[in-house]
Amino acid sequence: MSYTELTVWTRGIIMDKEGRDIVNSISASARLEGKFAQAMENYVDNPDRTNAPTRKYCRLSDNVLENELTYENEKPNIVVLVEGTMVKGWDYMRGMPPGGTLVINTHYTPEYMIRFVPGPERLAQLVCVDAAKLADHKWLYYRLGQLGLDRLSTEGAAERSKAIAPDIAAPLIAAVVKSTGIVKRETIEPMIANKKAFQMALGELHIMPLKPVAA
Amino acid sequence: MATTVTSSTKKKTVRMNGCVASAQAAKYADVDVITAYPIRPYTATMMALAQMVANGELDAEYIVADSEHSQLSIAHGASSSGARVFTGSSGVGVQFAYELYSPISGSRMPVQMMIADRTLDPPGDFGSEHTDALSTRDMGWLMGWACDAQEAFDNHLMAYRIGEDPRVLLPQMVCQDGFFVSHITTDVELPDPGQVKEFLPPYKHPYPLDPRHPVSHGPQIMPEQGPPLQLERARAMEGSMAVIEQVHDEFAQIFGRKYDPWVEEFMTDGAEVVFFMQGGHAVTARFAIQHMRDEGVKVGLVRLRTIRPYPTDRVNQVLSKFKVVGVIETNMGLGSVSSGGSLYAEACAALYESPQHPLVISFMAGMGGEAIVLKEFYWMTKKMTEAQRRGKIEKRTHWVGFEE
Repeated sequence: MSYTELTVWTRGIIMDKEGRDIVNSISASARLEGKFAQAMENYVDNPDRTNAPTRKYCRLSDNVLENELTYENEKPNIVVLVEGTMVKGWDYMRGMPPGGTLVINTHYTPEYMIRFVPGPERLAQLVCVDAAKLADHKWLYYRLGQLGLDRLSTEGAAERSKAIAPDIAAPLIAAVVKSTGIVKRETIEPMIANKKAFQMALGELHIMPLKPVAA
Repeated sequence: MATTVTSSTKKKTVRMNGCVASAQAAKYADVDVITAYPIRPYTATMMALAQMVANGELDAEYIVADSEHSQLSIAHGASSSGARVFTGSSGVGVQFAYELYSPISGSRMPVQMMIADRTLDPPGDFGSEHTDALSTRDMGWLMGWACDAQEAFDNHLMAYRIGEDPRVLLPQMVCQDGFFVSHITTDVELPDPGQVKEFLPPYKHPYPLDPRHPVSHGPQIMPEQGPPLQLERARAMEGSMAVIEQVHDEFAQIFGRKYDPWVEEFMTDGAEVVFFMQGGHAVTARFAIQHMRDEGVKVGLVRLRTIRPYPTDRVNQVLSKFKVVGVIETNMGLGSVSSGGSLYAEACAALYESPQHPLVISFMAGMGGEAIVLKEFYWMTKKMTEAQRRGKIEKRTHWVGFEE
């Protein structure tokens, strides 16, 4: 039986939707592929605040999810950092079983970034993708403008853009799909709004294979 | 009464959480007035409704009040004028409106209130305890808990139909656990709007406030007028039981989902010990019970779906079949009968007239809104089977997670 946990760490409000798009699209794809899957936001992180770290979760299984009502992913196999500086400051590697994958949105290389990762010995691979460059250099500026009016919380707020992954989420989803095979590319690609960034990312990932320490 | 499904082509299944399911139900019920005041976790329901109104999907008056007290006051007024009203709250918000609960049921206004439970202060965290709504349980509101988003959606429609029935005319609290239902996304079947129209005709209050036909609502009365007024409200509550059963039958005929209005029995065939509980934790309880049944443990689940009116006879008849009943409280009844939660007293009172007299244990689990995990259900089952072997309980209340 296969069971996978994916945890996305993102920045409250300004990159909240990006994090949500990642877990929602992967969960929806897994269900299309006949798996049991669930996507949710961390209940306590929301209502979020600007820039505060918030978590989004996805759980995939061949069997019905019996832990559907638990708040957090305790043993994430895959961790995504939607914003590069999140690599420092808190233990996003907590609970990761050996053989995990860490995906970071950064213009740095994995060789440079690994020094900041807490507990890197559990990783089977460190994946770096310059999502901001691949998607749209200016995305943060217009996103902040969009969010200027409702910056108290994004929980349940109206999304101005209904599109899934119109910007930096697209390359990050590509990075997760290519490096882990969590869902098939053919399943998820039709859902992604920014197909160009998704496709470019598939060819521009920096994957650093590692030898995880056995449990 | 309508029994045929005219068309099911407009039916669709959409993934949504409990909060959105409640908002959708209000939309399908074509509510006239919505009164809102934000508090987590039910806020997302009002956010969804605000979007529906703004997008022109729902033609309703959306009023943002300055507190929950005002929210329920406006709901009371709107209902008095004959509007179908939707409101809601969570946790301390439910408490802040407390003054209004008796007047609304006393004037027989079928206001509907969505509750997504949140602990009271302390701990005041976002997690779910049922204490917020349960503390109003004797105020004359129909009340029951859903265990998933689909059931929440369905309960909203049925509650309007029951509460607005001229034989009932009572307000309804349609409750769901914060997070465990309100924020968990599942598939929800949205019905054909035509089916909803068939099931839930437009609301007509018999004596609305209307300048063309003057009536008085809630006038000052003399003490001697009190007893008949109270008796009438009590009879309305009692009389609602037949209507509740009838409405559940009609709902099943039209929408194809059959709910027992009072209790859900899960794997109770041959069970000797059972859990007695309300709300979302039943989802995990079912998994735990399946696993324990595989190992030969004779355990089952009785989930209370309606607590007001309380189905005393039904609970007596169902729970009498078992040797041990483990009440999972998810509410605080400080200094109560069991020094645990308040559901224990309800279970015991129903069982008092039972010749079988099963043993009853109260489990304080999921407090602060903690998830009740599989191993805790196994632990509680062990306590029940031990009591069965011993022929008596070890103690009335166990705090799960604090004992060996």
